[in-house]
Amino acid sequence: MKKITAFILMMIMTVLLTACQDSGAGSDSGGSAQTDMEYIKDKGTLVVGVTEYAPMDYKDENGEWIGFDADMAKAFAKTLDVEVEFIEIDWDNKIMELEGKTIDCVWNGMTLTPEVTSAMDCSDAYCGNAQVVIVPSEDADKYPDADSLSGLTFAAEAGSAGEGVLQELELEYTSVKTQADALMEIAAGTSGAAVIDSSMADAMVGEGTSYADLTVACTLNSEEYGVGFRKGSDLVKALNDFFTESLADGTMKKCAETYEMQDMLLEK
Amino acid sequence: MEQILDQMPIVITSLNIGFIQTLKLFFVTLIGAFPLGLIIAFGSMSRFKPLSYFTKLIVWIIRGTPLMIQLLIIYYFPGLVLHKPVWGGGEAGRFLAAAVSFVLNYSCYFSEIYRGGIQGVPVGQEEAGLVLGMTKNQIFFKVTLLQMIKRIVPPMSNEIITLVKDTSLARIIALQEIIWAGQAFMKGSHGISGAIWPLFFTAIYYLIFNGILTILLGHLEKKLDYFR
Amino acid sequence: MAILEIEHISKSFNHIEVLKDISFSLEKGQAVSIIGSSGSGKTTLLRCLNFLETPDKGIIRVNGETLYDASDPAARLESAIRKKRLHFGLVFQSFNLFPQYTALENVMLAKELLAREQPDYKTRKKEIHEEIQALAESLLTQMGLGSRMSSYPHQLSGGQCQRVAIARALALSPDILCFDEPTSALDPELTGEVLRVIKNLADDNTTMIIVTHEMAFARDVADHVIFMDDGYIVEQGSPVQVFEHPSEERTKQFLAKY
Repeated sequence: MKKITAFILMMIMTVLLTACQDSGAGSDSGGSAQTDMEYIKDKGTLVVGVTEYAPMDYKDENGEWIGFDADMAKAFAKTLDVEVEFIEIDWDNKIMELEGKTIDCVWNGMTLTPEVTSAMDCSDAYCGNAQVVIVPSEDADKYPDADSLSGLTFAAEAGSAGEGVLQELELEYTSVKTQADALMEIAAGTSGAAVIDSSMADAMVGEGTSYADLTVACTLNSEEYGVGFRKGSDLVKALNDFFTESLADGTMKKCAETYEMQDMLLEK
Repeated sequence: MEQILDQMPIVITSLNIGFIQTLKLFFVTLIGAFPLGLIIAFGSMSRFKPLSYFTKLIVWIIRGTPLMIQLLIIYYFPGLVLHKPVWGGGEAGRFLAAAVSFVLNYSCYFSEIYRGGIQGVPVGQEEAGLVLGMTKNQIFFKVTLLQMIKRIVPPMSNEIITLVKDTSLARIIALQEIIWAGQAFMKGSHGISGAIWPLFFTAIYYLIFNGILTILLGHLEKKLDYFR
Repeated sequence: MAILEIEHISKSFNHIEVLKDISFSLEKGQAVSIIGSSGSGKTTLLRCLNFLETPDKGIIRVNGETLYDASDPAARLESAIRKKRLHFGLVFQSFNLFPQYTALENVMLAKELLAREQPDYKTRKKEIHEEIQALAESLLTQMGLGSRMSSYPHQLSGGQCQRVAIARALALSPDILCFDEPTSALDPELTGEVLRVIKNLADDNTTMIIVTHEMAFARDVADHVIFMDDGYIVEQGSPVQVFEHPSEERTKQFLAKY
């Protein structure tokens, strides 16, 4: 019995070790054999990892993907002469999705945090955004700036730029799964305030939403959005060139206007 | 309230699509795990020791780790470590990976229930069959099977109802089941932003479906009540 | 010629020998009682005859045909054994009726499954079914259960269950019917009805081997009595000889307890 158990355990460990060694070798040789550009042209599709997140990527009434990022991704794919496919992912797993090649890029209003830039190769920032503090409307006057915030309990999306700001300011907070959950925390009274992207705040709080009673109290910090690719991908340069061109010819601005985002564009 | 009524048709349509994914995963899991569980049960009861130890090891690993981790490993491991993304990135691949994880996980739980059911039938039943010149097959199908089914229906019902709710775990690999569909309306799906109620509304789907299952399984249990 | 001949049967479990060189024979129409204290090997002997256990040594012969020879490995195969079991019937201490079938179905099931192996089964299906049902009904009536044929085992008393079990064994018309302590699991007031049925069978010259603790019954019903102790046959002979004039000390000690 003991011998058999030991034998089986050894077998499993051998298999795991071999798998790991293979993987090390595989990634090296894989990189030199075929560039990311060739890989995508080869299969004919650019798979874009997204989460439903207005106004960047979201579905219209017919279930079609639209939004500022989605429209730009479609245009970029056209220049590469490949199809574009949008795949909804779990935001927490974006790096695994990318490295496991189930998607080819993350293009979803992604804030360029140190965590993101160390795990992916990212494009130049194309868009700027601010982190805003959301509170119940009747309390909004009490929190005009960052110094007035101590004593509030915050909610913020795990790994988001908002969480980074809260850590910097040493404020007490709970991390939740999505920015939408952060808002629900305030509505449910389980948190006093939330820090989310201002673009998101425009779409999700105030009149005509489930959060009519919530409002923006103050702005904390600004951040920049970029598109993430696999490490060493040659698509980064291609996308940067595409951004430069579409800024120059005005198509990017036109697209931004469709979603009322023209103020957020970064013009270099 | 008025706003909710306006959003209702869009939300219901979208939740229905999500719920179909939930149902698909539920039924595929049952169809796969019923027979596979029986095979695993026979494996763990095998008199060939290496086979029974190996089967028990697998059952221990699967039952000893969260289904959520199994989903992550089964979906991401091939692409991340082996550089062969066997499942692909699309909805179909995610569904297949989820189905494989669920079938594997649930067949291990089912196997333990089967094992209890088989071992719970008194040895005397098989011996009576043997003495009457019946073959092992005849004994299993004509004598033991129904008694075993009667024993496993109550614990199986529990697992089946748990399975309905467990399907929601598949959204960790972005399978767009009903809770995923409900959450999407917080984030601007179909032009609806910041709506929380669809998420809570999904509970009604689960309740109704589990209600139907409870009635059906109770009916089956009652049907087998004619003998002891 | 003897209907049953047992020669030098031995059986061990985990190196403990529970049957030691058992030999005896039985004439057609005879009833044999096997008596002895618990653990003396009586039940194991019956289980060997029905091939629920395979003897390690020895030969079992029925009507002169060698059914089992421990020195022949092929004899141990399940496929070889199955048909040979039909020479014997076994009534268990705990009845072992199939709970999901009625009394009538319990009696019919095995016979119907066997009938499927007949070459003319497909053409005479309905006829065969009716024959088997008629046989089962007459057996149950003979057991005094004419009115309880459609009852399920849990709706019957222990005594009634045991009588269904006897009918079930008789339905296959075995050469030798074995009883393994048929009344031990019954309430005292129910043993009488079962013993009466067995007595009637003996009077009809059914060949039987009865393992029992009911000494008066063992003596009354049997043509031949075997006393076993510690895996050996200590003494055997006519009821008068064994019960009135036992020659062995161990037999005397055992009988003194009753």
